Amino acid sequence: MGALVVGKSLRRHGTRRRTVVMVSPNVSLEARCPLECVFDEVVVVDLLDSGDRAHLSWLGRPELGVTFTKLHCWTLIRYRKCVFLDADTLVLCNVDELFEREELSAAADAGWPDCFNAGVFVFRPSLHTHSRLLQHAAQHGSFDGGDQGLLNSFFSDWAQTDISKHLPFIYNLSANAFYTYLPAFHRHGHDAKIVHFLGGAKPWHFSYNTQINQHSGSQLDQYVNLWWAEYHRQAPPTAARPETRELSMRKPSLVVETLPATPEIRPSLTDSLPPEVRAPPPPRPPPAPTDLTLHLLPPAPASQTPHSMRTNPEDTASDWTEHQDPPPGEGGGDSGSDSSTPASNELQQVETEEEKQSRRRMWEEGHMDYLGKDAFQNIRKKLDRFLD
Amino acid sequence: MPLARSWSVTSLSNLDEWDEEFDLEDAVLFEIAWEVANKVGGIYTVIQTKARLTSEEWGENYFLVGPYTESNVRTQVELIEPTNPALRRTIDKMNASGCKVYFGRWLIEGSPYVVLIDVGFTAWSLDRWKCELWENCGIGVPWFDREANDAVLFGFLTAWLLGEYAAQCEEPPHILAHFHEWLAGLGLMLCRQRQLPVATIFTTHATLLGRYLCAGNVDFYNNLAEFNVDKEAGDRQIYHRYCLERAAARCAHVFTTVSQITAIEAEHLLKRKPDIVTPNGLNVKKFSAMHEFQNLHAQSKNRIQEFVRGHFYGHLDFNLDKTVFLFIAGRYEFSNKGADLFLEALARLNYLLRVNHSDTTVIAFFIMPARTNNFNVETLKGQAVRKQLWDTAQSVKERFGKKLYESLLVGQLPDVSKMLDKEDFTMMKRAIFATQRQCQPPICTHNMLEDSNDPILTCIRRIGLFNSSSDRVKVIFHPEFLSSTSPLLPMDYEEFVRGCHLGVFPSYYEPWGYTPAECTVMGIPSVSTNLSGFGCFMEEHIADPSAYGIYILDRRYRGVDESCNQLTSFLYQFCQQSRRQRIIQRNRTERLSDLLDWRYLGRYYISARHMALAKAFPDTYVYEPHDSTVSGFRYPRPASVPPSPAHSLHSSPHHSEAEDNDEDDERYDEDLEAEKDRRNIRQPFALPHHRLHTNSSNNSQKN
Repeated sequence: MGALVVGKSLRRHGTRRRTVVMVSPNVSLEARCPLECVFDEVVVVDLLDSGDRAHLSWLGRPELGVTFTKLHCWTLIRYRKCVFLDADTLVLCNVDELFEREELSAAADAGWPDCFNAGVFVFRPSLHTHSRLLQHAAQHGSFDGGDQGLLNSFFSDWAQTDISKHLPFIYNLSANAFYTYLPAFHRHGHDAKIVHFLGGAKPWHFSYNTQINQHSGSQLDQYVNLWWAEYHRQAPPTAARPETRELSMRKPSLVVETLPATPEIRPSLTDSLPPEVRAPPPPRPPPAPTDLTLHLLPPAPASQTPHSMRTNPEDTASDWTEHQDPPPGEGGGDSGSDSSTPASNELQQVETEEEKQSRRRMWEEGHMDYLGKDAFQNIRKKLDRFLD
Repeated sequence: MPLARSWSVTSLSNLDEWDEEFDLEDAVLFEIAWEVANKVGGIYTVIQTKARLTSEEWGENYFLVGPYTESNVRTQVELIEPTNPALRRTIDKMNASGCKVYFGRWLIEGSPYVVLIDVGFTAWSLDRWKCELWENCGIGVPWFDREANDAVLFGFLTAWLLGEYAAQCEEPPHILAHFHEWLAGLGLMLCRQRQLPVATIFTTHATLLGRYLCAGNVDFYNNLAEFNVDKEAGDRQIYHRYCLERAAARCAHVFTTVSQITAIEAEHLLKRKPDIVTPNGLNVKKFSAMHEFQNLHAQSKNRIQEFVRGHFYGHLDFNLDKTVFLFIAGRYEFSNKGADLFLEALARLNYLLRVNHSDTTVIAFFIMPARTNNFNVETLKGQAVRKQLWDTAQSVKERFGKKLYESLLVGQLPDVSKMLDKEDFTMMKRAIFATQRQCQPPICTHNMLEDSNDPILTCIRRIGLFNSSSDRVKVIFHPEFLSSTSPLLPMDYEEFVRGCHLGVFPSYYEPWGYTPAECTVMGIPSVSTNLSGFGCFMEEHIADPSAYGIYILDRRYRGVDESCNQLTSFLYQFCQQSRRQRIIQRNRTERLSDLLDWRYLGRYYISARHMALAKAFPDTYVYEPHDSTVSGFRYPRPASVPPSPAHSLHSSPHHSEAEDNDEDDERYDEDLEAEKDRRNIRQPFALPHHRLHTNSSNNSQKN
């Protein structure tokens, strides 16, 4: 859910870089779909598949497992330079100028300004750096048990050496820290470019309707509102960018949905030099369910992985489209229309056992398709079977 | 609408006859709710007060079913062996198959039987049951919603209990099961799904979605018909709960709500029109002495006055005998409870009283618990100062009395000028000096945790009611429940209500509204709205509610500003009343308490039950719809001219202590009026829309 907003906000502010989101394997397939619409690339990173080096050192220090997920961004060697953004950030304007910075540029942490905050940073992907980071982790650990401690001790010269690597605070404004210096916030707050929702209460924990009443007033809420506004905004027209359109042609599944989201991703993202990249997130406890219309995809057997979709676009497309109507305002209609074969209509009739189970799972997670298959109308039909 | 008197005698006898005819011998009633012997919210009060009447009616065949919690059982329940053999077998069987079911008497009035089910003990079945629920009804329950998961367990266990009971009975039983609220609703659905021989009733006391929508500042009542309910519920993350609630309403033989307004809400949000409205009642305490409640009012009022003397020390520039006490009480929901409207109206009232140079002072109490850091020093000091002045006066009196006594002993009339010597004056001067204070009397009696964000305080700051001496309206915010052990205002809620003059409850969302009902049975007039269940009910039953001290604010068809003006005029009218007029009004208010007694209101439940039995067992019970659309009885206007100030405001030359105004006396005869009201209230028997007759011929065929 967070990643989706970051992606949307980047797009809306017209970034000219490629965007990549890195997701861990426990992010469900359904959840990845919307991300594919927003990002140029979705990279799945699996902790245990990430090579022996990682594996071994991970065995030595199991508590750092989660940390390594973030380090995976250094493996995106297709790109020369990237900007990493946490999934709990919100981009308020175009930030492409960050790519003029060098590794490792970051903004000071509001809590301890001699350390940088690892929510937004510029880096150069390199397998070499990656392995050194892993080594460093295995040897020294992380002083705070998370990625920020590790990165700060690895790039320990950040505080002293090069002032150009200090990003202005407006690139990583902690949404809950600025009250400590209120006048400064009033003076500079409106220049903020990236807001970072630190702490346990993420914007998606405030449900949309209540947050308006209860939290109005404070500055945090101003940003929470912005976040929700971004979330509810229609996906930006991808057609504006020629490359994206090509992409969507190749992968029909991309256009099918604007699923809002799954809370369990806490994606992080990265912009990179010519291309942009987003990095993966450690999984988070499931936060608030979404407010938007929720079309949940029953995982059709044929479409288990994005890979298989690409190989057999025709089948996949029909599989996807059978269950849901492409949401209005989405470019999705076109791919659906040319692939809706008679075969898919037959499929529509029978819901397989597997689909039923997955629908039940979605209920369990609080993501029922209340405007579609799970509408009360259908429940009523079930009830009426035994009422007479 | 015809007055009730028009079909008094016949209908009365009809119903009596019918009551005897309706044979409940072989029927059993289970009343199932999550709040049976388990206080969580308001449903507890409903069930607990209603139990006495229902157990009088059903006797040994009445069982309440609720969840088992150890602490509640320790304090409220006496566990015993099941009396009913079929039920005993049922419980034994369930306990043998991995449940924990308890049987006992609930130690409340009427001491009804309770069956308590330990929900946690069968938590291991949760997944299997959720699967079954999914298969049968297509409803799933998220794992993180603990309350909803409890509802699943409770639902399956109650359905098991009822099914097992039906199986254990030798003859086909007539089981009637009454489910309250969505938490119990699943049991109802399962009864229907398993085709158990059970007549079912479902009662919602408010709808889930309605509460959420109102709390979200939606223009609720004007858009009631337009909501896309699935979407609204889904967006608010209560879709599964809403499904359970709506499914129960769908499946029930008879569906009821607590008020007319909630009926409309249910019709639009749950898509089923309630078959009958079952208002909530109270167990009215009758005093043997007439007008005992007036004496209690006087006593309690004196204690409130004492508190006010302390609170306003140094600023006591108003006459306490001409001071009217208003109050609002309830959960701290600023706009749902109408505190916003009340404050705004108080500001306008203040203006009105000032421009009209009124000598009446109004003190408005806000009793709404919020987060605080205990009492503030200024208010405690106020009470201490008052106490000190009292002590000073006492000791001066003592010395005064002694001198008086001595002078009498020597056979002389006392010389008044010598009675108080210099020392006395010094003492009194010192005491007066201590009562001086520079600041205004405080608004809030406690230190608020979120002082700057508190909605009431923010609103008071905006409208500028700061208890200054020129203000005719003073405000006191007591953000804690009242308690008789409080050092500030040592009274419990009931005493406090009795001491006030008017309760003001201008709620926007109030499915029933026990607060104004409680006021009424204590003989205290109140303001409610036509959006609250209570207001609707009173409007329907009384021709001229305001004469009886029931002011009903129109918030349904009017804008906020208009409603606020209306409230202001109610309050202004009330302030214009003489003391005598208020006494007459209180008498009338108190007479309405019969209307709110379960003895009267329980009948709605009775007809709901008969309706359900007739629907479920058409062979045994038959229910005849009555043609008449008359709903119960209606109080006519009071026989004598109402004390409403609209009539007397300008006629009475001086509305001070017009206690013994002869002119008024002629127009008002308490006993006569009361007698007329009593005659009217005998009528409730004509209430239901439908009448029900046992079909005796069918019955005998079966036997």
